Amino acid sequence: MPDSPKQGPWPRTSHRWGWWRGHWRVARDALSFISRHTGTSLLVWLLVGIALALPASLMLLQTNLSRLGADWGGGRPSVSVYMELGALNAAELAAQLERRAEVQAVALTSQDEALAEFTAYTGLGDALTGLERNPLPASLRVTFAANAGADALEAVAASVRAAEGVADVVVERTWLERINAISRLASALGWVFGALFGVGAVLVTATTVRFAIDSQLDELKVMKLVGASEAQLRRPFLYFGALYGAGGGLVAAMLVSLGLIILEAPLLDLLGSFDQTLVLGGFDVAFVAALVGLGSALGMAGAVLAVRQRLAALDVM
Amino acid sequence: MGRIEFLNVYKRYPSGFEALRDLSVVFEEGSMTFLTGHSGAGKTTCLKLLLCLDNPTHGQILVNGVNVSRLSARRLPHYRQNLGAVFQDHKLLAARSVFDNVALPLRVSHMREREVRRRVSAALNRVGLLERESLPPMQLSTGEQQRVGIARAVVSRPKILLADEPTGNLDPELSQDIMALFQGFNEVGATVIVASHDRALIESLDNPVVELSHGMRVR
Ligand SMILES: Nc1ncnc2c1ncn2[C@@H]1O[C@H](COP(=O)(O)OP(=O)(O)OP(=O)(O)O)[C@@H](O)[C@H]1O
Ligand SMILES: [Mg+2]
Repeated sequence: MPDSPKQGPWPRTSHRWGWWRGHWRVARDALSFISRHTGTSLLVWLLVGIALALPASLMLLQTNLSRLGADWGGGRPSVSVYMELGALNAAELAAQLERRAEVQAVALTSQDEALAEFTAYTGLGDALTGLERNPLPASLRVTFAANAGADALEAVAASVRAAEGVADVVVERTWLERINAISRLASALGWVFGALFGVGAVLVTATTVRFAIDSQLDELKVMKLVGASEAQLRRPFLYFGALYGAGGGLVAAMLVSLGLIILEAPLLDLLGSFDQTLVLGGFDVAFVAALVGLGSALGMAGAVLAVRQRLAALDVM
Repeated sequence: MGRIEFLNVYKRYPSGFEALRDLSVVFEEGSMTFLTGHSGAGKTTCLKLLLCLDNPTHGQILVNGVNVSRLSARRLPHYRQNLGAVFQDHKLLAARSVFDNVALPLRVSHMREREVRRRVSAALNRVGLLERESLPPMQLSTGEQQRVGIARAVVSRPKILLADEPTGNLDPELSQDIMALFQGFNEVGATVIVASHDRALIESLDNPVVELSHGMRVR
C-alpha cells in the first residue's frame, strides 16, 4: 500500500477516547504529585493567594465604594440655590430648571416654608416671628439625573448664578467627590498591584514548575524516546500550574473573606457616624470563581514559561 | 514499513568531532543486521540519528522512502511510536515498577488500561519476568533489567527494533537467550538492527554484518 504523502507511513496509533484518557491520567498524576509534595504545594498556594488577595480586596473596595457613591443619601450631586429676600421669581426659575434634561427634580422651599421648617427643627420660631420680615430666603434644591457629569453641574450652577434674584449658589458634591476619588484610587491601585503581584504569581508558579520538571527529567526523556509528543510532555506541568494557581485563587478568596469579617464592624461603625449603612457586597460566587479562574490562568502562564525554558533543551541520548 | 537506508550520511558533533563519514547502508525490510565496530566507531550515533534524537550534518536517512530527519514535530512522535529501542544504559525509570516501565509506550499512545495490562503481561512473559512486574527495576540484575528494556521496546509491536549493545555485560549464555528473543521478533516481520562489539556472538550467528571504523563503513 503506497504511503499517502499527507499521512505518512506511520499511522497515528489512535484509540477510542484516547485523548480523554491521556488527560485523565495526567490530571491524576498531577494531583498525586501535588499531594506527595504537600509542603511545597501549600507554600505555593499561600504565596499565590497573598499575591492575589491584595488586588482583589482593592477591587472589592472599589465596587463597594462606587455603590456607596450611587446610594449616598440625597445622594446624587445637587445644587442649592438661595434666592434674595423678597425675590418673586423662585417658582419661575424652578420651572425653567426642571425643563433641562440633566436636571432630575427641583424642590422649591418658599420663605414661609423655610420659616416653618426652622421653627419645627429648632423651636426658636418665636425669635423670628418677632421680626417684621422673614429673614429666611426661599431656596431651590436641584438634583441631577444619574448620567449628569460634573460639567453639567457646573454649567447649571453658572447659569443660575447669573439669573435674576439669586443670592447664592452652592454646589453640594464634596462627599460624593471624595468617595468617587477614593474609589478611583482603589481601582487604580488595584490594577497596579494586580499587575505587579500577577507577575509575582506567574514567577512563583514558574519556579515551582521548573523544580517539578527537573525532578522528572529522566521520565520526560524516556517518554520522549517512546514517542510522547511535545504536548504530552508539557501537559502535566500545565496541569500543575493550573492547580497551583487555582489553589492560590481559593486561598486569596479565603484571605479576602477573612479581611471582610475583620473590617466589617469598624467600617459599619464609621459609616453609621455619617447616617449611612452599607451591606458589603461583591463577595459572591462569581467573585470567587473569577479569583480561581484568574489564579489558574496565571499559574498556567507560569507553567508555560517554565516548560519553554526546560523542555526545549531536553537532551535525550 | 521497515526498509531503512542511510544515504551518504555525515555526522559532525558541535565539538567538531566527525562521528560518521559518508555512511551509506541499506537495512532491508524484515532483516536482522549486526552493526559492529570498535568503541567510538559511531554505532550509537547511527541509532540516535534513526530515532531522530539528532540530525545528520549531511545526507539522508530514509525509512520506507521518507526522509525522517525532515519529519515535522507533529509526525515525529508517531514515527517514534513505531520504533522499538533498547538502550546501552537501559533507560528504565527507577521510581516506577517494572510493569509501569514496560507500559509507558502504550500509555503514551493512550491505549485503554485493560489492553495495556494484557500487552504488558504478554511482553513480560516473553522475556520471563512476569513474576517480577511489581518490583522497581533497581532490584533486578543487569540481565533482567536489560530484558525489561527489551519488553518495553517490543510491547507496542514495532516494525523496527533497534538495540544498542543489548548483551553489553552479560555472560555468553544470557547473551544467546537475548539474541534468540530478537530473532523471534525478526521472524514475525520486524526489521532488527543490533549494535554490538561482541565478535564471538556475531560470528556465532549468520546474520548480515555492517562494520564501522572511525565513522566509515568498512564491511
Ligand atoms: N554528543 C556528542 N558530542 C561530541 N562527541 C560525541 C557525542 N556523542 C558521541 N560523540 C563521539 O562520537 C564518537 C562515536 O560515538 P558513538 O557513541 O556513536 O560510538 P559507539 O560506536 O556507540 O561506541 P561504544 O561502542 O563505545 O558505545 C565517539 O568518539 C564519541 O566520543
Ligand atoms: Mg555506543
